[in-house]
Amino acid sequence: METLYSEIVVAGCGNPLYADDGLGPAVVERLKDLELPENVTVVDAGLGGPHFIFTLLNPKSTKTLIIVDIADFGGEPGELRWLTVDELPVGSYRDAHSWDLTEPLQYIKDDIRIRVLACQKKYVSAPDMVIGITDEVQKAIPGAVSEILKEIGMKYETA
Amino acid sequence: MTKVVEISPTTRLEGHSKLTLKVDDQGIVERGDWLSITPVRGIEKLAIGKTMEQVPKIASRVCGICPIAHTLASTEAMEASIGCEIPTDAKLLRVILHAANRLHSIALHNILILPDFYIPGTETKFNPFANEQPARSVMARIVRIREIGQTIGAIAGGEAIHPSNPRIGGMYHNVSPRAKQKMADLAKEGLVLAHEQMEFMLEVIRNMQNREFVEVAGKQIPLPKTLGYHNQGVMATSPMYGSSSLDEKPTWDFARWKETRPWDWYMGEVTIDLEDPSYPLGGTTKIGTKANPQMEACTGVPTYDGQPVEVGPRARLSSFKNFDEKGTFAQHIARQMEYPDCCYTILKCLDNLNTSGKVLADHIPLGDGSMGWAANEAPRGTNVHLARVKDGKVLWYEMLVPTTWNFPTCSRALTGAPWQIAEMVVRGYDPCVSCATHMIVVNEEEKIVAQKLMQW
Repeated sequence: METLYSEIVVAGCGNPLYADDGLGPAVVERLKDLELPENVTVVDAGLGGPHFIFTLLNPKSTKTLIIVDIADFGGEPGELRWLTVDELPVGSYRDAHSWDLTEPLQYIKDDIRIRVLACQKKYVSAPDMVIGITDEVQKAIPGAVSEILKEIGMKYETA
Repeated sequence: MTKVVEISPTTRLEGHSKLTLKVDDQGIVERGDWLSITPVRGIEKLAIGKTMEQVPKIASRVCGICPIAHTLASTEAMEASIGCEIPTDAKLLRVILHAANRLHSIALHNILILPDFYIPGTETKFNPFANEQPARSVMARIVRIREIGQTIGAIAGGEAIHPSNPRIGGMYHNVSPRAKQKMADLAKEGLVLAHEQMEFMLEVIRNMQNREFVEVAGKQIPLPKTLGYHNQGVMATSPMYGSSSLDEKPTWDFARWKETRPWDWYMGEVTIDLEDPSYPLGGTTKIGTKANPQMEACTGVPTYDGQPVEVGPRARLSSFKNFDEKGTFAQHIARQMEYPDCCYTILKCLDNLNTSGKVLADHIPLGDGSMGWAANEAPRGTNVHLARVKDGKVLWYEMLVPTTWNFPTCSRALTGAPWQIAEMVVRGYDPCVSCATHMIVVNEEEKIVAQKLMQW
């Protein structure tokens, strides 16, 4: 069976209609402007992560999954932190439609290296729709981009 | 004596919904209400004043399952409003994206419904996550079909989840000859798998249809032959893609649509007086709890010719292909029968696709405020978006998504089913509840909107 997926998958999760939750897609947008190695796929997972991401991974070809999302780990708004799957509390990482993401991640973590880049949120508007990331979290975007570039082994100077 | 039982939340479907059911002494539903309890979010209000390029992007974020259907319907509603015809090759790419989306969506739904069904010839229900056969090979096939659907979608649509290629006036890019070939190879592989998966699912569904009883929480529940029957009509705009107000002969009629309020359709306050703690996933709602579907329902009730209608695969097949079965199992059968069509459609479009053809209209008008609509036959049914665009800005926007159409229809289809299998009736619609939850149009506003629209 021909494998369709690349070695490294970067998935930006979140919904731009819920204020800071738009961080994941915003980071993906920046990454897409850059020239990335051929073994990297960057995907705007939106809020469809649990439903769609797992069919984009193939343990035969995919070595690393990098997830970018907001989280609440009690840091300063905009603070970035790398988390492992085990640090994600079960059930706390649910998407809007109650498909748990943590459990399937636990299943695959032995086959695929999973890195979660979390950014401390300031304001998530759900269920109300508000477009626009807060300034604090907005400022974290260049940092998130360079963290991911480092993680995929690229030396890319960001201004 | 009539008792009231409530299943909340429902499971193995997308979004939060619940079933409030009035049942007789035998537990047969006399009157059922299926309603969305996903919080109302008001996307239509958010769209007002945004540019026509922004709104399809916003619409694609309504739900995590249906970004492709919403991107296409929304983009085309804008194009319908401004009167922009797109080049043939752009249209072909959109149809490919659409068919690929349907292909992987049917496969996803297979995973959600299989636990309701028995492995033919056995008394064992199908567990998609079991380590034995047939589960492993069926799941491997489902995963591969989804991979194929998502990959073709990613090539034609720019990205696998939120398509980035469609834009007002056509598409940003055509595909390379090599990408075209790759899509064709994948569609051919997908066609074989789609046929196999369809045959498998048809056998499973027909086997279920011949059973007298099904087991739910250790009890044998009678399975009526008329499960999910209703007397509402069906609505479909095309066997595959859809229609828009720009078409020479549109297959959806704006004048036949009217949005009504949930309190005209749902039951008033009731008190739960039947409870079953053994019902899967935590039991039913506790006795003594009050429910008020009229007030809790988070969706409007759209009607076509004054009645709620069914949309989806069965509606498409009975409208265009003389399919004459009814009920829950007919919906499942119709959905499986659409499997091969997705691949045939992709292959046919690829045959006609010119990779050096232009994919963007020469002139993209900014709009004069005319009303335009586009109906997209999403996996779950007719997805109609309506818009008025003036000088590039959206003045008015409305989404009539498949599950909104199906909510009231499915509520009627619950009558006659034992309450323990009411969720099976709901799953027959492949519901996507989050999409369906929008602003409720209040009466005064509705009148004004309706009057204004009549003049355009």
